Amino acid sequence: MKHSTLRDFLPSILPPALTFVVVIALWEGVVRAFSVPRFLVPPPSDVLLAAWSERAALFGALLTTAQGAVLGFLLSASVGTTVGLAFSLSRWLERGLYPYALFLQTVPIVAVAPLLVLWFGPGLRAVSVSAFIVSVFPIIANTLAGLRSVDPRLSDLFRLYGAKLGDTVLKLRLPTAIPSMMTGLKVASGLSVIGAIVGEFVAGFSEGSAGLGITVLAAYRQLRTDLLFAAVLLASLLGLLLFALVSSSSTLLLRRLRAPG
Amino acid sequence: MLEDIDLVIEAGSFVALLGPSGCGKSTLLRFISGLDQPASGSVVLSPEANAQEPGTRTKLGFVFQDAQLLPWRSVLDNVALPLELQGMSRTEARERARGPLAEVELGDVHERFPDQLSGGMRMRVSIARALVTEPSVLLLDEPFAALDELTRQRLDERLRKLWQRRRMTVIFVTHALAEAAFLAERALVMSRRPGRIVLDQRLQLPEERNLDLRTDPDFVAQTALLYGALSRHGGLDDAPIDP
Amino acid sequence: MHLDRFLSTTLLALAVCFSSGCGKKSQPKPSSEADAGALPQAKVVLALDWVPEPEFGGFYAGREQGAYKRHGIGIEIQGGGAGVPVLQMVATGRADFGTVGADELLTARARGADLVALFAVFQTSPQGIMVHASRKLQKLEEAFHSGTIALETGKAYAAYLKKKFAWDGVKVVPYDGGVAHFLADPNFAQQCYVTSEPIAARQKGADPAVFLIADSGFNPYATVVVTRRELLQKNLELVKAFVVATREGWREYLDHPEPTNALLGRLNSALDAGTLSAAADAQRPLIENADSKQHGLGSMQQARWQTLAEQLLDLKFLDKPASVADSFQQL
Repeated sequence: MKHSTLRDFLPSILPPALTFVVVIALWEGVVRAFSVPRFLVPPPSDVLLAAWSERAALFGALLTTAQGAVLGFLLSASVGTTVGLAFSLSRWLERGLYPYALFLQTVPIVAVAPLLVLWFGPGLRAVSVSAFIVSVFPIIANTLAGLRSVDPRLSDLFRLYGAKLGDTVLKLRLPTAIPSMMTGLKVASGLSVIGAIVGEFVAGFSEGSAGLGITVLAAYRQLRTDLLFAAVLLASLLGLLLFALVSSSSTLLLRRLRAPG
Repeated sequence: MLEDIDLVIEAGSFVALLGPSGCGKSTLLRFISGLDQPASGSVVLSPEANAQEPGTRTKLGFVFQDAQLLPWRSVLDNVALPLELQGMSRTEARERARGPLAEVELGDVHERFPDQLSGGMRMRVSIARALVTEPSVLLLDEPFAALDELTRQRLDERLRKLWQRRRMTVIFVTHALAEAAFLAERALVMSRRPGRIVLDQRLQLPEERNLDLRTDPDFVAQTALLYGALSRHGGLDDAPIDP
Repeated sequence: MHLDRFLSTTLLALAVCFSSGCGKKSQPKPSSEADAGALPQAKVVLALDWVPEPEFGGFYAGREQGAYKRHGIGIEIQGGGAGVPVLQMVATGRADFGTVGADELLTARARGADLVALFAVFQTSPQGIMVHASRKLQKLEEAFHSGTIALETGKAYAAYLKKKFAWDGVKVVPYDGGVAHFLADPNFAQQCYVTSEPIAARQKGADPAVFLIADSGFNPYATVVVTRRELLQKNLELVKAFVVATREGWREYLDHPEPTNALLGRLNSALDAGTLSAAADAQRPLIENADSKQHGLGSMQQARWQTLAEQLLDLKFLDKPASVADSFQQL
């Protein structure tokens, strides 16, 4: 079998890498050439320096935020898929509760976050609930859509043999829904990081562990815009990382289970 | 949609159901299987009386126009599905599934998945699945319509041999006259909507049939008869287009 | 086949995960030091109303130098953020102690929260208005006649300033916690905490002049430690010990700020050593004054509370006159 060499990857790596280099160079150049105040737009060199000198704190913050985001995501995944399944089994339940699920999607989390601190406790608890609230709805919606997308002729097949509801759900509806569910999980993964960071803005942090949200807040206050950029960058990377994890797990799973899509 | 259908079908007979598109052939099949209920009238399947509940009394097999296999299950597991749904353990069901797969000559693809099979092979799996519960009634709704002519004829042959071996009642819906004549002992022709039976013909053809039969003069004559009934009551020329 | 088994196991795992996850998600970390003291450590939580900055230095000093431990208290300091509801947290028992402004305490009490002030870090409120020195303003009043000013208009001090000075010709914008606008615009003024924004602005090369709100006559105690009355009644010893330890911690921080500043720098990566020492210096005269020298760090006078209550009533932050005697407790 032909082994893939670096040359094979070159066409897909080269363009974004080149773009990246060009953007960074332009950014650095423009800031210096026009003497843009460094507290307004720090040049990439400042950001890198800040990232390096505060690397211990930033790494700790990354881990803290990651904890909140991952916890919130896992909560969304379990609650979201369960609720989606429940909705698919009972129209009555769906009609009654769907508006509330939708409400979770639209509620302004910044406004609600202080209440979360009050109800669940500051630090990781409020942050993970914030991440949950922001990321759960896509999972519910996609799970429900997937469960509803069963081929009616396959439903006929199951009905023909008098299949029990449990069998129909486990052997027909859930397998059909898995590609949709994976989509929902992918969307939720990025959102959970956003939710965690917004939660951190408000909810503060537990003893000794400031998350990226707090780092951004504190950096803004002290006008350490270079540090702020570094923290924001790390936050995006965290979101990307989580997305990539969920995405590749999903691809592997779909391939192994040979589900369509 | 259907009108005045009053049929008696003997156990173990092979009946072909013909008619123009939209006449209700598939609907009739769904009534017989219990998947849908007629507005008036009833379906009685012997030996048990009144099997309106699908899958509860008389054992039924249904082969759809599409193979309708579960893409996430292997060939063997697809065939085993009906038995699992009726409560059999997974291991036992898989064992039992081997038989029908051997009958359709797919013994060597057990662990393949539907996306790795040709159309004809998928259809054979579908047939094996329909046979796994050892049904006394086998319903087929234009199963070979999507396949090429050669595969179709081969599958026709296979099906007839299967029927000869097992002798379940078969009701076979098709568009293709030659296929109907090749397979069946009795042909029912339906008219355009509202569908009525306009011809009920016992086919005068030998018991043993092979592909050469299609050029036999008797065969041609029988086919012509069917064609006549079909064109009189469902042809394109005198038809207003169905809504 | 793989799929069905996988699905049923996953469903089961999710159910377990969900039901156990409904319980506590995280345990609060116990205080960091090993229990070298002989006293059993009572665990208390102190909720701060902002991110760790030198205005809270004494609490961290107390923890790090063992003041709390010596008095039998295992303190957990909950760093805050932009919207931590400290008053509600203390009122509901989520936190045992919290830091709030004196005006916030009185309004909360008026709404039925029975919280009591114990220790006022700032004798003089660090709240101020920061303007560019280049504007050569002689009085704070002049800042409200031109340019732009950023304030939290819902706050009591802003209402006080509005009532006292005529706001005429100035554009009022929301305060966002930073100094970016200030640096960009010489006619931009903003509210500030003397220990924070002016120092940051100076570091970036600006020349801020600060007017203390206290000098204009509105001077609530700031960074006031409060607790709920229930705790005070049930466990007076604990509360007393907390106040004593806090006093020691603040003494330590005022005398030797460097070790605590190092810790603050680690907790808040945006604070560098220069900012920290400048802030510690700037806040010293606001924490220690004649009153505190006479009555002790953090001590409070009834007259001050009374004045504040009257001012709040006048500004319509309170509906009816409040009796301030039970708003605070000298321990």
